[in-house]
Amino acid sequence: MKNNDIMAGSRRQAKSRRILRFLAGLFITLAVVYLSFGGFVFWAMHQPPEVFGRVMKRIPGPVAFLLYPFETLWLRARVGALNIGDTAPDFSLERVNKTGPIQLSALNKQQPVVLVFGSYT
Amino acid sequence: MPALNKLFDQYNDRVAFLAVYISEAHPSDIWQMESNIRDKVVFASPKNQEERAEIATTCVRRLGLKFPSVLDEFGNSTERAYTGWPDRIYLIDSAGKIAYKSKAGPFGFKPEELAAALSRLPSRIGHVGISNF
Repeated sequence: MKNNDIMAGSRRQAKSRRILRFLAGLFITLAVVYLSFGGFVFWAMHQPPEVFGRVMKRIPGPVAFLLYPFETLWLRARVGALNIGDTAPDFSLERVNKTGPIQLSALNKQQPVVLVFGSYT
Repeated sequence: MPALNKLFDQYNDRVAFLAVYISEAHPSDIWQMESNIRDKVVFASPKNQEERAEIATTCVRRLGLKFPSVLDEFGNSTERAYTGWPDRIYLIDSAGKIAYKSKAGPFGFKPEELAAALSRLPSRIGHVGISNF
């Protein structure tokens, strides 16, 4: 009688150990999937716009926005090389209305310059 | 954009404003946004500099920017130098140094921060002198 109780008890223990092992395995798997997917999104954020756009297009709906601190990752990935006090890299680009180029250093000679980077979409 | 036009009106006499038109953030063939379809702003990625120029012309007109705009070249060299995509604001002081750099858009695109940076610029002699009153 007593022996039977002991055997049933150890069977129960073995069963709960199996469940625990299963849950731990599941947790570790989910964590690995979560982190590697997040790492992939973060990598994509460092790529040129077209590459990043293509990656985001394949991720359904707001998944990346809901599961990850998207804004924080984005701001970190796109922090860029320039800092306050650095010399602004010069450029000479054609005007959109095709009336000739504008050179930053020429424009900047007499006055401060505000640069607004952007597009329409 | 109205916020930037307003700052342009306010500082036009002492600060130059320049829009740099870069790659579309959400071209229809790469990462279309529902909101852009609703607004009927659907553009495929331009295949060359001419196509990009065409889109830029349309966009600049629709945005109603008061200040001049230039077009980044097809290799996006200026965007890369400034990490400008998808949008970003800089203020460069008269010594050619960066005085303000916004965080990356769309989250970091904050004209009110630019307004604060502009107000910190040293005023040029003659602009706020007695002669103005």
